[in-house]
Amino acid sequence: VKCQLYPPQRALQASAVLRRVSDEQKKEPLASSSQQQFDSHPTDHQPEKEPQGPRPSYTGQGGQESEDYESEEQLQHRILTAALEFVPEHGWTAEAIAEGAKALGLSVAAAGMFHSDGSELILHFVSQCNTKLSELLEQEQKLVQLGKAEKKPTDQFLRDAVEARLRMLIPYIEKWPQAVSILLLPHNIPSSLNLLTSMIDDIWQYAGDQSTDFNWYTRRAVLTGIYNTTELVMMQDSSPDFEETWRFLENRVADAMNMGNTANQVQSTGEAVVQGLMGAAVTVSN
Amino acid sequence: PAGGASLRLCSTRVTLEGINKPVIDRIIRVDHAGEYGANRIYAGQMAILGRSSVGPIIQQMWNQEKDHLKKFNELMVAYRVRPTVLLPFWNVAGFVLGAGSALLGKKGAMACTVAVEESISDHYNSQIRTLMEEDPEKYKELLQIIKQFRDDEREHHDIGLEHDAEAAPAYSVLKTAIQLGCKAAIFLSERI
Repeated sequence: VKCQLYPPQRALQASAVLRRVSDEQKKEPLASSSQQQFDSHPTDHQPEKEPQGPRPSYTGQGGQESEDYESEEQLQHRILTAALEFVPEHGWTAEAIAEGAKALGLSVAAAGMFHSDGSELILHFVSQCNTKLSELLEQEQKLVQLGKAEKKPTDQFLRDAVEARLRMLIPYIEKWPQAVSILLLPHNIPSSLNLLTSMIDDIWQYAGDQSTDFNWYTRRAVLTGIYNTTELVMMQDSSPDFEETWRFLENRVADAMNMGNTANQVQSTGEAVVQGLMGAAVTVSN
Repeated sequence: PAGGASLRLCSTRVTLEGINKPVIDRIIRVDHAGEYGANRIYAGQMAILGRSSVGPIIQQMWNQEKDHLKKFNELMVAYRVRPTVLLPFWNVAGFVLGAGSALLGKKGAMACTVAVEESISDHYNSQIRTLMEEDPEKYKELLQIIKQFRDDEREHHDIGLEHDAEAAPAYSVLKTAIQLGCKAAIFLSERI
């Protein structure tokens, strides 16, 4: 799921400031790009430096582009990823982003590209964690398909998936309450809700959910509840390796499974009662 | 999990790359809701007219709708589409419509069938147009399915006419009202 980054409103100014104040050589400004409304100076001036992610292939565009051309969005991703290292110290703030930019060899003012409340940094982090979780689940599924691993029962699967996802918060757990409160700000709610729902949908997808009726909603609602409450517990947990949290998670998942069973029982009891009544009606009418 | 899928597609999850997800989402969601509703309508009709002379015919049409629903269940899982929230509502509304029209008599039930099936065939036709405009090659499988179903619904429509649907009490009023309801149902199920 792509994290929605804010449009580069201050980009024109910021990009000019992105140039490093030093004796590095600057590449030619790029002639055309459909994604940007300004000249972008590639920041990756060292050819041996590995790109963080896949580069778009801008081949055949007049041959003016250098090989290290990256889009604005990729640059932002790189800065945010680098900034995560500084979150335990600075929190989810513009300071962390500035430090991240500095670590990449960019001007500190690059943080001006982003909102001052650190929203994009948090959304970027959440999006990254969700992607990691999807990859993890995909790999597990491949192992099961190849017969190299046992298929887990549903409750075990959900527990493991939620635990794996929440463990990604551990390095940042001190500052995570701050992040949650920022994600609940009105202007962030659409994005954070989107990320949450697609993560939950992913987990159910890999858990093998094939419901096409209202259960689709019930299951996702229940799992969202489990995830959110466990996250809250985790933020207040001081036990070694968060064992209280995992125990809480286990209990909640067990509750959810029981709820499912109870619902089935109620339904079959109801059906039996109806059948009994119909039988009685037929008897009486005869 | 993938594996053991009874689909003609090669895995439970079709490749979701490169398809116009919002458009396909809507199409599958509303079609699934439609077949689900049709199922419930015939169920309602059978509850009243099951033992009458038109019982076998309604049963036959109902069986075909069951097949349609099964197919859309599979497509829904394959394309990872969310079902409409209104399913419980269509459950009740469909049954009530079917039973209600059947209480007007056999012709009433047939009139309901004609109205609904006409709406559904028009709706499938516009979906076929949409998919053809998008990319007939990419959506070949889906197009084939929808075309087949459209033909089935057309057949139901014709069966309804054959069984004196037009002689039903207040036929034109009934037909208009039902078709209006179908339009609303389609509009809502596409979105929520």
